[in-house]
Amino acid sequence: MKTLVFIPAWNEEHSIEAVIADARKNLPKVDLLVIDDGSTDRTAARARRAGVMVASLPFNQGVGAAHQTGYIFALAHGYEACGQIDGDGQHPASELVRLVAVIESGDADLVVGSRFAGESDYRASRMRRGGQRMFSLLVSSATGQSFTDTTSGMRALNHRAMALFVRRYSSEFAEVESLQQAVRAGLTVRELPVGMLPRAEGKSFITPLVSAFYIFKTLVVLLVGQLRPRTNEPDGHP
Amino acid sequence: MSGLLAAVEPVVRLSPQTRVIAAVLALAFMLLILDLIRRDRLLERYSIVWFLLGLVMLAGAAFPILLELLARALGVRDVTIALFSAVLLLLLGLALNFSVIASRQAKQITRLAQQSAIETIEQPGEIESTKPAIDKG
Repeated sequence: MKTLVFIPAWNEEHSIEAVIADARKNLPKVDLLVIDDGSTDRTAARARRAGVMVASLPFNQGVGAAHQTGYIFALAHGYEACGQIDGDGQHPASELVRLVAVIESGDADLVVGSRFAGESDYRASRMRRGGQRMFSLLVSSATGQSFTDTTSGMRALNHRAMALFVRRYSSEFAEVESLQQAVRAGLTVRELPVGMLPRAEGKSFITPLVSAFYIFKTLVVLLVGQLRPRTNEPDGHP
Repeated sequence: MSGLLAAVEPVVRLSPQTRVIAAVLALAFMLLILDLIRRDRLLERYSIVWFLLGLVMLAGAAFPILLELLARALGVRDVTIALFSAVLLLLLGLALNFSVIASRQAKQITRLAQQSAIETIEQPGEIESTKPAIDKG
């Protein structure tokens, strides 16, 4: 199966080379694409030097637009499956291998790597975990399917899911809203427990007030999502 | 209390002075719109609604009967209240309209950025030199 793995990266010049090397080692058969989301540092240059394809957005567009760029490229170039890991080094490529394998076996349309399912030893602050639980609760009740890690950026998907996300993809709550979208479109979505590393650089800006605001926004986004017309069959293959 | 329901004949009207000021403002507004179009600062598409608004302002100043009809239709005795309500609703609608336009354009910009990003895969060397210069008029 022709598979693409893309790495959205925004100002990750310190980690991008290691992420690429890790992906190369664990996923020797796939094509690698770095999606440089308008970085102002040397992320794109370093990725190019590492010899992978690099798509540079002319300005920072947010994680949703970056993911969607990957899906547009993958569909346009005939990839049947794609996987994605963040450019900050949080996601070991060895774990993505398992997600991609599920897609290649045809058992799911979208597979999400979860830090919290199963016996993951991922350590997060209590605040952060509380926020994650809240997101999970919201998404689970919106979709009627249980999710433990709704903000995970490690995922793999097939062309059906890609086609769905090319048509519409949330720019602000990409990970959360896309789960709802996929379930509502009748796609098979699975979660797989994965191990993740803590962020290499402390860039998370989640304060209590910000997370409360996020949760509120997510609630609104999911409610609106429930009201959207259902798209049953993503275009493309039957 | 009976006045609330029995508002028939508007009792508060615009004074002649107000009408003159309104007419002058409306004319100035329309001239401004024309000038903005002339200098390429406003697309015709958006100017039409503003120009119409200027015309309506002018009509309201020239023919007070129009405002009184409006007040009667809304069931208020004060012409100025009818005027404020109508203008407020209109502005609300316009603001919403602009949010819709802004959302659509944001989507279009994102898609353009994505396509340009995909093109940079093939021409990695040319990114710096092709940054477009936008004419700010």
